[in-house]
Amino acid sequence: MKRGKMKRYSYALAVPGLALYIIFFIIPAVGGLLLSFVKILGFDLSSARFGGISNYIDVFTQPNMRLAIYNSFVFAVITTILKTVIGLSLAVALNRRMPMTNALRTIFFLPAVINTVAVGLIFSSLMHPTNGLINTFLRSIGLEAMAKPWLVDTRLAIFSVCAIEIWKWSGFTMVILLSGMQAIGKDYYEAAEIDGAVGWKKFRYITFPLLLPAFNNALILNMIGGLKVFDLIQATTQGGPGSATEVFGTIIFKSFGSGRLGEGCAASVLLAVIIAAITIPTYKYIADREVEM
Amino acid sequence: MKRIKLGTICLYCILCIACFVILIPVFMVVINSFKDRNEAAMMNIHLPSSFHILENYKEMIAEGGIIRGFLNSMFITVICVFGLILLCSAMAFVLQRKKNLFSKIINMTVVFGLVLPIQIIPTYFVCNFFHLPHVASAIFVLIVANMSFTVFLYTGFMKSIPAEIDESAWIDGANQFQLFFHIIFPLLQPVTVTAIIINFMAVWNDFGISIYFLNSARNYTLPLTVYNFFGNHSSDWQLVFANVVLATLPVMIVYLLLQKYIIAGMTAGAVKG
Repeated sequence: MKRGKMKRYSYALAVPGLALYIIFFIIPAVGGLLLSFVKILGFDLSSARFGGISNYIDVFTQPNMRLAIYNSFVFAVITTILKTVIGLSLAVALNRRMPMTNALRTIFFLPAVINTVAVGLIFSSLMHPTNGLINTFLRSIGLEAMAKPWLVDTRLAIFSVCAIEIWKWSGFTMVILLSGMQAIGKDYYEAAEIDGAVGWKKFRYITFPLLLPAFNNALILNMIGGLKVFDLIQATTQGGPGSATEVFGTIIFKSFGSGRLGEGCAASVLLAVIIAAITIPTYKYIADREVEM
Repeated sequence: MKRIKLGTICLYCILCIACFVILIPVFMVVINSFKDRNEAAMMNIHLPSSFHILENYKEMIAEGGIIRGFLNSMFITVICVFGLILLCSAMAFVLQRKKNLFSKIINMTVVFGLVLPIQIIPTYFVCNFFHLPHVASAIFVLIVANMSFTVFLYTGFMKSIPAEIDESAWIDGANQFQLFFHIIFPLLQPVTVTAIIINFMAVWNDFGISIYFLNSARNYTLPLTVYNFFGNHSSDWQLVFANVVLATLPVMIVYLLLQKYIIAGMTAGAVKG
């Protein structure tokens, strides 16, 4: 009986979607792996020569590529931590009955719907060395020394870009965590209050453990987003000044533009491996510690 | 009691500051798009000494290609969202209902796309190989880039639709297509709304994929017109700001009208997991 039932579901309905997925995702993924071992000039496949691991050697030895790997990690770590901390703080603050909760939520989420290029341009203006609002403000409150050329200074630029990313996505993290918190039943808190738990203890022993699934997802989303950042950097610094804000995304874009496709593929494969190697174990580690509600 | 009050006041202050951090940049852009060239270059938040709304926006529209960008964005987004809904709901239906090893492997492969970034250079090779026009390539790649998540979303919801419904449809003599399109798909409506919102936002705001495939002013989407407009007018801040305002306005209006659904939709997948 069971077998007979199975037979009635055929793959016919899934074929169009699967075909697209295979052609535009699976084949490129495998092809990218192959291309990363090939020296090729532009899009001319007849010029392809087997290059062994020379593309990977290039990725690791060229100074701007090494910087890109370093920057991607710096960017991912800083933005993940701060987006999560700010998002969590805002969520805790808004997870109560207050007259303005809805309006505040709408405002904090707002940057998530503005497109990244617009956000990048807005901050290029805000962080302008001479006239930008940030420096004008710092000077007006007497912090002349704090007024820096945010996106122009080679040491500062990557941190400035991190700040923009945090501005854009903290509200998104907040909303994820907030809806996780609102799913926690009131009776847990009532029981805890009877046991005499207050403030921090309630958060530590009730909110946080029960929030873990949402927290895990927010964390992983932020990590993946941070490691594969491209659009924000392209819209603000394009990897510059020099190669101070170069990341995987901009390296791949540049090697695409200059026809060094093998190297681009090698960087792209490397990024995929790094993302999988970091996020999957992290996700599993946290998921194992989740408690049933 | 007093301590709690003080705490609440502190909390309000911090939230207010956080609000300003979000709203002042937005206000700065809007107010500066009303100023003349020299005043806008100062990039402050003072009110303009004289308003130049019409001339700024007219000048920007006249040379920015923003209307074409809007139409291109509309065209690409509508096709992508429509395609994603149709393809992914059908995929999720088959993959969730068929419980054999093969379908599980396929499902795993599709979900794996949630983690792996799309390999853009080899994808370009594939599009070249099929001689796809740029816009078609962009549409296909944008669909595939958002496919894993949409299938994942639909599969999760599909589990809550009892298989008994399928049984009774089989008994009434329906075939799989009739069952899916007449019975199952309408039942998926709540998650379809979510999927439309998520994918609309993702495709409408996409820059990272379209910059590879859309490379002439004729087929630029809104984010690309903004990006290139800044490239050509980096010293005319009043026009750049006007451009940013107008390019962001559609999505902003939609957001303010439907904010409840958009916030819920964009976070839906991340909460359930």
